[in-house]
Amino acid sequence: MEIAVLAPLLVVVLFAALAAGLWIGFALIAVGLVAMLAASTAPVTLVFATKVWGSLTVWDLTSLPMFIWMGEILVRSRLSSDMFEGLAPFTRRLPGRLLHVNVLGCALFAAVSGSSAATTATIGRMSIPELTARGYDPKMAIGTLAGAGTFGFLIPPSIILIVYGAATEQSIAQLFLAGLVPGVMLAAMFSGYIMIWAMLNPTRMPDIEPAVNGRDSLRALARLLPVVGLIIAVIGSIYAGIASPTEAAVIGVVGAMILAWATGAASWRGIGDSLMAASTTTCMIAFIMAGAGFLTVAMGYTGIPRALAAWIGAMDLSPYALLAALTVFFIIMGMFLDGISIVVLTVSIILPMVTAVGLDPIWFGVFLVIVVEMSQITPPVGFNLFVLQKITGRDILQLAGYALPFFLILVAAVALLSVFPQIALWLPRTM
Amino acid sequence: MRQTLDRLYTGALMLAAAAFAAIAALVLVQILGRLIDRGARLIGAAPLGITVPSLAEIGGMLFLSAVFLGLAGTFCRGGHVRVGLLTGALPPRIARPLEALVLILAAGLCLFATWSSVLQTWDSWVYDSVSFGMVRVPLWLPQGVMTLGLILLLVALLDGLVTLLRGGTPGYAAQEQGEA
Amino acid sequence: ETWDMPTPYGDSVFHTANIIEFAEDVTEATDGDLEITVHSAGSLFAHPEIKDAVRRGLAPIGETLMSRLANEDPIFAIDSIPFLASNYDDAMKLWEASRPMVEEKLAEQGLTLLYAVPWPGQSLFTAGPVESTADLEGAAFRAYNNATERLAQLMGAVPTQIETGDIPTAFSTGRADAMITSPSTGVSSQAWDFVSNYTELQAWLPKNMVIVNSRAFDALSDDTKAAVLEAAAAAETRGWEMSKAETAEKLAVLEENGMTISDPSETLSAELAEIGETMTAEWLEEAGEEGQSVVDAYHAE
Ligand code: NA
Ligand code: NA
Repeated sequence: MEIAVLAPLLVVVLFAALAAGLWIGFALIAVGLVAMLAASTAPVTLVFATKVWGSLTVWDLTSLPMFIWMGEILVRSRLSSDMFEGLAPFTRRLPGRLLHVNVLGCALFAAVSGSSAATTATIGRMSIPELTARGYDPKMAIGTLAGAGTFGFLIPPSIILIVYGAATEQSIAQLFLAGLVPGVMLAAMFSGYIMIWAMLNPTRMPDIEPAVNGRDSLRALARLLPVVGLIIAVIGSIYAGIASPTEAAVIGVVGAMILAWATGAASWRGIGDSLMAASTTTCMIAFIMAGAGFLTVAMGYTGIPRALAAWIGAMDLSPYALLAALTVFFIIMGMFLDGISIVVLTVSIILPMVTAVGLDPIWFGVFLVIVVEMSQITPPVGFNLFVLQKITGRDILQLAGYALPFFLILVAAVALLSVFPQIALWLPRTM
Repeated sequence: MRQTLDRLYTGALMLAAAAFAAIAALVLVQILGRLIDRGARLIGAAPLGITVPSLAEIGGMLFLSAVFLGLAGTFCRGGHVRVGLLTGALPPRIARPLEALVLILAAGLCLFATWSSVLQTWDSWVYDSVSFGMVRVPLWLPQGVMTLGLILLLVALLDGLVTLLRGGTPGYAAQEQGEA
Repeated sequence: ETWDMPTPYGDSVFHTANIIEFAEDVTEATDGDLEITVHSAGSLFAHPEIKDAVRRGLAPIGETLMSRLANEDPIFAIDSIPFLASNYDDAMKLWEASRPMVEEKLAEQGLTLLYAVPWPGQSLFTAGPVESTADLEGAAFRAYNNATERLAQLMGAVPTQIETGDIPTAFSTGRADAMITSPSTGVSSQAWDFVSNYTELQAWLPKNMVIVNSRAFDALSDDTKAAVLEAAAAAETRGWEMSKAETAEKLAVLEENGMTISDPSETLSAELAEIGETMTAEWLEEAGEEGQSVVDAYHAE
């Protein structure tokens, strides 16, 4: 079947399946199946199992349930609400107040986790209930998290930079360094947006916390310490060479258990419940990953992503026009496929055209990560949205609306990065 | 019957949880082994070299097994996400048949997935496929668990369909409404 | 006809470059009757899935590291026995001696071997100079399969599992002190950031092999089959030369970036030769008479 017919057909199948209320994982499998039957002679029966087996028996994925489990323990033991209690007095004067916790929390957590889904799930599980209970506008509480959750990819360690580095033979260490400053810049842009929003919408902010004296602020600080200490311990375990980034998630689980026991908040039942909750969340995300893996291989057989990328290459664009075209391409592809799949499927077509116009491959890796981050929060297929639906019970389309301002900030960040490539390249070039 | 099925889903989900916990335990042994070695080197003793062989590979297989064992239980708890905004606005006389159609579709896709997984398990058994790491794990084992999990999900989907057609509300739907 | 070909490594790796040339040769020789679409960097199937994907007919042709199949049959591990064949000439002799057996074992799975090309020899990366194995006593030594684990033990080091992507972090945080790998991996992981010494051992030269599904291959016309085999033979010759060039090139990059390149001391060489004999003997125990016949054929050449 011609790509010009097949591609729209697949989009229609996906939208119909999702609109009818088919579960996301099944919807992706359905699209993959249609694509395979229409465009490939390979035996689809075994393709599914082979690919799903391959995309889920991945060591790095094991940190996902661990981080989620850690978050569940902290929530159940009230350690996470203590942390918000502790932070509240210190953010009184900051426009946007505790909303910044999502940005800061995700940025910190992203320094441990290479995955955006894990970042969103863990921080969101703790912050969303707290922020809503404290009267923050859910739209902002959820939107900031959707946006900041994508830091998992940009701030090292990053699964996607590892995939890109391996596929293009670029130094992963250099890529990690290149992601650092843009990561901080994005965090600043998100926080800036929160401040402006809070100043423009004072009525939608909760009442200000009462002022505290010196002794109270010490007490507040003490409530902050356990969780902050835990995060530092997890990061520290990596840099002290005690654990690999994947293993560090288990330090988080054990640390959370110890804290829960030390504060008398733990029970065997609570630990069991937290593990069951982490299990269902992981199964939910992994089932969608299975569907996405199958859809990815089906796309590989159909050749659609390669053909589209090659089509852009054939236009012979100037560097800026090429980047603009690629951004649009990735945004559209990112609506339907998960970001890592797009990088894997198209990098061998795209990298040669990018280097041909004189762009730096390390810089392009960072560019890719930010456009891929966008795909996490665009409907209908966006992993951060799925995680948030699980946490908040709100619908994906509604969540995508909350995330829209942050999507636009990501677009602005890509523009900034294109005009000032030094933002990414300065650090790796000087070190 | 109802109770037996529910126990089956929950039991498999608990096994999944146990598999996730097993990953944590193995990683912990690995980390402790590393700490002991480091301590030994500090005091000038010979490192014991306690490691979990093939941890990465075995961890990956445990992850896959856990995910598939937990699919049915997650489904029954309304844990799998979907777009509900559009169907939620429909009147019941359209929504119920549409839901039945969705369940039939999902069951059909799940049947395809299950069959695919059966073929893979069979293939690995016939060709005696094994993992490539230090521990030689026969692949039909975790692939068999994957098949079992998919069969269980298929049962859960059909279970939901039967409940719906009998005029009842399937467990997952009650949970989904409870959450929203 | 179009064949999808999954391969594990990125386009800039010389194995992939060689495969792309092979695919072009096939298209040209068959006048477009057979086109091979190369899906590099694991974009269709990732490395662990490729062999089974080809065997199951999901992709008619693919590339994989031969020693990944070591757990299926010891013969696939023959190019990963340390110090059995530790230069290109010996590696070629070993390949010639072992090829019939490898082909036979693959045929049992319905796979046809087209060609195999080695990686540059595996050498030692360490933080300081290594004069003898005593310098590696108690060091955390990266092991990624049975052979490297055993090698570490025999050298008195502690085998440590480190995934490829984790190498820089592991070394810079002290979870690993030494590794044995090709200069290619040394350069791609920027080894100079975390180790300073490279000891040229060429302990073994592991090979990537290109395999086809026998049913798919037999379904080709005789002319096309001949064209594929001819292109494969050319790719093998070309690949071995590319591999040698790669060794020189990547060594130069390591040196440019300030790594100390040295040959093993006499003590180290002697110790390692002994370890090699031990490991060959252990491999023969596992591989039995079949293995013995291959090793005999190798030594006879
Ligand atoms: Na990260
Ligand atoms: Na998306």
